[in-house]
Formats: sequence, C-alpha cells, structure tokens
Amino acid sequence: MISLRGVRKTYASPAGPIEAVAGVSVDIAEGEFVSILGPSGCGKSTLLMMLAGLESITAGSITIGGQPMTGPRRDAGLVFQDATLLPWLSARDNVLFPIKMMRLPREKYVARAEELLHSVGLGAFMDKRPRELSGGMRQRVALCRSLIHTPSIMLMDEPFSALDAITRDEMALVLLDLWSRHRKTGIFITHSIREAVLLSDRVLVMTKRPAVVVADVTIPFPRPRDESVQDSPEFTAIVARLRGMIEHSIKDAA
Amino acid sequence: MDGGNQIIAETPAALNVEKRDLAKHPAVQILLPIAFALAVLGLWEFLVDFYQVPKVILPSPLDIYARTVSAWPFLVQHAVPTGTEAAIGFLLATVLGIGLAVLLSYSKWAYAALYPNVIFFQLIPKIALAPLFIVWLGIGSSSRLAFSMFIAFFPVVIATLTGLNSTPPDMLRLCKALTARSWQVFLSVRFPYALPHIFSGLKIAVTFAIIGVIVGEFITAQAGLGYLILFASSQAETALILASIGMLCVVGLVLYGVVAGLEKLILRKYGH
Repeated sequence: MISLRGVRKTYASPAGPIEAVAGVSVDIAEGEFVSILGPSGCGKSTLLMMLAGLESITAGSITIGGQPMTGPRRDAGLVFQDATLLPWLSARDNVLFPIKMMRLPREKYVARAEELLHSVGLGAFMDKRPRELSGGMRQRVALCRSLIHTPSIMLMDEPFSALDAITRDEMALVLLDLWSRHRKTGIFITHSIREAVLLSDRVLVMTKRPAVVVADVTIPFPRPRDESVQDSPEFTAIVARLRGMIEHSIKDAA
Repeated sequence: MDGGNQIIAETPAALNVEKRDLAKHPAVQILLPIAFALAVLGLWEFLVDFYQVPKVILPSPLDIYARTVSAWPFLVQHAVPTGTEAAIGFLLATVLGIGLAVLLSYSKWAYAALYPNVIFFQLIPKIALAPLFIVWLGIGSSSRLAFSMFIAFFPVVIATLTGLNSTPPDMLRLCKALTARSWQVFLSVRFPYALPHIFSGLKIAVTFAIIGVIVGEFITAQAGLGYLILFASSQAETALILASIGMLCVVGLVLYGVVAGLEKLILRKYGH
C-alpha cells in the first residue's frame, strides 16, 4: 500500500514561496490503478515525481509498504509524456536499458523484454531504432521499458498526451491490456477524463491553488474491461460528473 | 472566392517544389560548384591576360599551376611540419577540451569558477596572444603547438558542454529513478547524446588548429607553409605565395576530411 499523509511541496521563488502541492493525503492499495486528473500546472507531476523519489517532500510523508520514502526506489517503473528512448538503441535494447542502469545481468531479462514487446504488438519491430517507429510505437516501447525490472508500481506522467487522438485511444487500450496482465499498482496522470475513467479503479481530482485532491471517485466497472465500457450510460454519467467537478474547481480558483 | 484563392496560393508553391528538387540533384550539387569555380578561374585568366597585370601583383591561374608543379617537392616538404603540428595541436585541444567540459558539467563549483573565465578568454582576439607564447616557450615547435592547441580548445569546450547538457531531462530522471551511477549515466547516456555537438565543435577546432600553426610559423618558423608564404613574399614571388596557399588548402582539406569522415562513421550509430 502507498500512503500519502499531508504531503506538501513548496518551492522558493523570488516572489515568495510557491506551493506546488498543498497537503495531499491518499491511500492507494496494492494492485490498484489510480488516475490523477486535473488542469495543467496543478502539481500532479510534482506529486508523481515525489512518489518516484525524485523530488524531496517539503512536509508530510509518503510510505510504500510501510517503508518511508527516502529517495529513488528500484521498484517503480516510470513513463513520461515523451517516450524518452535512446535514439541509438534498438527497441529491445531500450526496453533492457533499466537492467543495464541497475547493473543486473542482461541475459536474464532478454526473454522478458521480447515477451513484453510481443504483447504490445511490436514483435516484428524489436531491432528497429526509435526513429524508425511511430509515436505510438515508441510509447509502447516506453511502457515495456517501465515493466522490464518487474517493478511493483507504474508511475505514468501523461504518457499519451503527445500522441494524436486516434493513437491515443489505441494506446489506452494497449495499457488496459498490459495492466490486466501485470497487475501493478498504477498511478496515472492525465487530463483526459475519458482515459482516466476507462483505465482506473479510482480517479482523484486535483485542483490548482491550493493544489490538493478535491474528489476521490471510485470507478465501478468490473475487470477485465475493454473499449465497450465506454459505450455504457454509466460511463458517460461518471465522465460528466468528473467534468463538472473540474469546471467547478477551475471557477473557484479564478 | 475560396476556390479562387486556393488556386492562386497553390500554384507557386508547387512550382517552387520542382525547382528546389532539381537544385538538390546530386549531379547538380557536385558539378555546379566545380563549374562555377572553373568559370571564375577562366575569368581570372582572361582578365589578367587582357589587362596585362604584372605577375608580381597577380599571376594568372596557369602561372600558379606552373609554379606549383616546379615547386612541388618544396611544397610537400613544407606541408609536412604544418600538417603534423596542426594535427597534434588539434588532438591536444580535443583531449583537453573534452576533459575540461566533462569537469565543468560534473562539478558545480568548477563550473561557477571556470565557465565565466572560459567565455572571457573566448572573447579575446587570441591571435594577439601569439607573441606571448613565443616569449614563454621559445621559437621551437612547442610554442606553435601550444598556440594551435590554445585557439582550437575553446570551440571543443563549448560544444562538448552544450552536448553534455543536451540530454532530455526526463532521461536523466529515469536514470536517477533506476539508481544508475553517474559514470553509467555519463557513458551510456550523456556522452553519446553529446557526440553530434562534439563533432560540430571538432570541425571548427580543426580549422582553428591550422590557423594557430600558420600564425606561429609567420612569427618564428624556419619551415612550414606559413614560413614559405612569408619567404615567397619577401622575394616578391606571388605565384609561390598562392601555390603555398593552395597547398595549405589541401592540408586543411585532408585534416577536415578525417574529422568529417570520423563524424559520419560515428553518427551513423549515434546520430539522432
């Protein structure tokens, strides 16, 4: 379980301190997929970087499995908005990159890398370099890379934001499928309401100023899910409710 | 109205594309500059002949060619020290330049202390410092090597530093999250990312290294193409000056070609 208690992040700036995250308290169960939804600049990414151990926590605490967070931990897989692959490595070697950085024996992970690439439909592209792949394919490689070292948590920072709308919908389904097979604890940052509802067990709505979680909505659809979930009236109702909350919070902030 | 506008807007664009395509044809790209150079040489030959320009002022291309042929062993003999010294100066600048850039990019203190000074030195017209090198290191080849290294060094430092800072921040975050050691990040990520920048710096540095050697030879040397140019000028042998400059171009082209060839080879793998 991941527990956040009164987590704050305050940056010093010439104009005085800026509160990027203003006291977030949330529990995330093991194997749960949670989306954090909110307008840009509301501190979502800062929160995610704190969960990755890449940003210090100004006040409050984060514990993972009872252990307090002190710095980077190897059991997290990261996915960014941009695929951030190394341009000179093949898809396979990019997936294996974390193994190299963690100084683990490569040969034990090659089969897993190939299996992961197969599972996202890139079986025929393992030897291709990033520039030979489309944006969606590159992001699939990045998803595989985040899972190669069998992390217990997947931290995703708007991984599909840079893709076109059609690819983006396709990628949500790829992730849905990948996640149902690996069942990691997933924390997914997005500003697409539909994406959040489709993928998540819970959606947290964050606002700007103060950067706090204002709503915690449980998504009731059973697993395994597929794209047909989106056609149900219940799906539409949840999306509408979340949209209302976000619009409301933006009005309040203004 | 819409339809009319579209037609007007599209026609010139379509024509432009065709014209540009022809200009980019490989045959045109190779033959056109050669044809242009030949035309200029032809015009030069004609004008020198037509106006009966004295050879001391400006020899014709054919005169220069004849002088090049007659002085060939001489030219080669002087090209060797110039080329060798420029190559060594360039290599020293490369090693020291990359080394300093790595130090600056890994130590905040070194960066704060040194980087403003590197920029300051970069702004000095470095040729003005050449006599100092003679004062310090004497008239042997060491002063020419040191000066050549000195002026070739700055573009390497600046380009390498830019390159080492060009790794996407998210990539560095990923490495940090994976608990990678900083030497791993350097070898596997930052240095390869820097390679295209480093090579653009090296290509500038190699031409600077030759300038450094020539300036040194102007001041002190008893051999080398810079010396030969000064010697020919004292004898009013304008054709020999120009033949030496031609030889200097060949030396420059060879050194530049080696660097550019190496770049092509390495960026085939590490280019973005």
